[in-house]
Amino acid sequence: MYRGTTLEQSLVSFLKKRFPDADDVGIEDFQQIPGGFSRETFSCVAQLTRGGAQERLPLILRKDPPIEISILQTSRAVEHDLIESIRLNTGVPVSQSYGYELDPKPFGEAAMVIQRMHGNGNTSDLFNGGPDEDQVDDVVRHLCEVLVELHTTDITTIDPTGALSDPRGVGIKTTSWDDYIDSTCEYYISSYPSVAFDPSIMVLIDLFQTLRRTKPRALPLALVHGDFNPANFLYENGKVTALIDWENSRVGDPREDLGWMTTMDLLSNTRIMDHPRDKGGFLAYYNELTGFNVTAEEINYFNMFGTANIAVPVNSAISRRLAGEHHQLLHVYLVQSSIPALQAFSQQMNYPGAAS
Amino acid sequence: MGLIYAISEELMPNLSNPKAQATAAMMQSLIQELRQMVPVYDSYIVDEHNAMTKVLRDTAGALEGVTGASADAVRERAKTLGTLADVPAPIDREKVLAAHRQLGKALEQTIIDLDVLQRAGDTRGDVALDVVRAHLAPRYARDIATVVAGAGMIGRG
Repeated sequence: MYRGTTLEQSLVSFLKKRFPDADDVGIEDFQQIPGGFSRETFSCVAQLTRGGAQERLPLILRKDPPIEISILQTSRAVEHDLIESIRLNTGVPVSQSYGYELDPKPFGEAAMVIQRMHGNGNTSDLFNGGPDEDQVDDVVRHLCEVLVELHTTDITTIDPTGALSDPRGVGIKTTSWDDYIDSTCEYYISSYPSVAFDPSIMVLIDLFQTLRRTKPRALPLALVHGDFNPANFLYENGKVTALIDWENSRVGDPREDLGWMTTMDLLSNTRIMDHPRDKGGFLAYYNELTGFNVTAEEINYFNMFGTANIAVPVNSAISRRLAGEHHQLLHVYLVQSSIPALQAFSQQMNYPGAAS
Repeated sequence: MGLIYAISEELMPNLSNPKAQATAAMMQSLIQELRQMVPVYDSYIVDEHNAMTKVLRDTAGALEGVTGASADAVRERAKTLGTLADVPAPIDREKVLAAHRQLGKALEQTIIDLDVLQRAGDTRGDVALDVVRAHLAPRYARDIATVVAGAGMIGRG
């Protein structure tokens, strides 16, 4: 078994503290994997020897990037508490979190270690002639049920300390629905000068102000996933085996998750929102289960509202890179996803002449 | 093109790490972006410069009869930046880039000023905002065609 170098050695030390009854701990198949834009992600298998028996634990190490190049600044401690709270208090399928390390010395930056769940993460296999097309209705039906459970669980059950009311510390208030929407719009608007790397992205200030002017009706606030999209769940045998990547989770309007999935469904060339077909699609089934009667117009609003939540840190990251604060390639590449989003906003706000 | 080819044929086959492969793919995408942008960038700047001066004038025109500081600010920009002469091509590049940026900033501020009117219930603010929006929509469509190379999803997993 390979004993590895620095990161792996730190991981072995971490696991020895986490499993003090283990006689021996080793790591194999340690490798970095693509895992989204905001964390560095590594996969491995830990081998524990306990009382003469060997146990294999598939693991994920999620490590923060250095703060100067960080796109989304959230706490691994908060994420750990959230995942464990969901795992222990709900039926929402999630990994087990084995813990976190906030001291940057062992791993270079704050990091957390979670269970690597079984299941297929290539959700494109469910669509477009993929090998698992026969499972799509069952998988998406279960995905909808999982989301409904998340949205209808009492917030204090999952977040007893209130850490998820404003996890980025940007002044969001969750004392009421109106306070939440108003304070979030103010955060977006006040962020604009720092994210506008060029005046050509002025559709963003138009978007933020339009969101403030055109609030829809209120719904009860809920714990939202915050990045509910086709790349963030695993499935197997017609069921969701895990909802993953909870770093953007927070107290919010449940329609934000529906809006974000709608956007990412389009960009990912999947059709999650069309299923389960026997229930008239994702939104119809969601409404059947919750009674919320969410409309397509509200989805459009929260599509923009949720995208703005990501647009602020992403465009801020681009802005810092173009100002020369560092030289990471990724932050220039992000322009490739930012530009289509700007056009999408112009279409959603019915700009004259914008193609639908 | 040679760079894109070299990345595909000489670099990527020797990369076993998925993260490194994703980085190489991003590099190809950015090089392709430059290939698309460089031939047209200067002409787009000229077009947009000349269109934005008109937008500033037309926005002010849509606010005829509207009083208040926000409307005054929009009209002031029409009288100053809105009267910049059209730029022909070929161009004094640095001068036009600076003016293009200044005009863009002026439109940004106009959007902010119009929001004040809209929130006060003045529907002429909506009409004026549509003038700005009508200018921006084709620009974003054109940016998609020239700046974007791929869906921007490499490395999302």
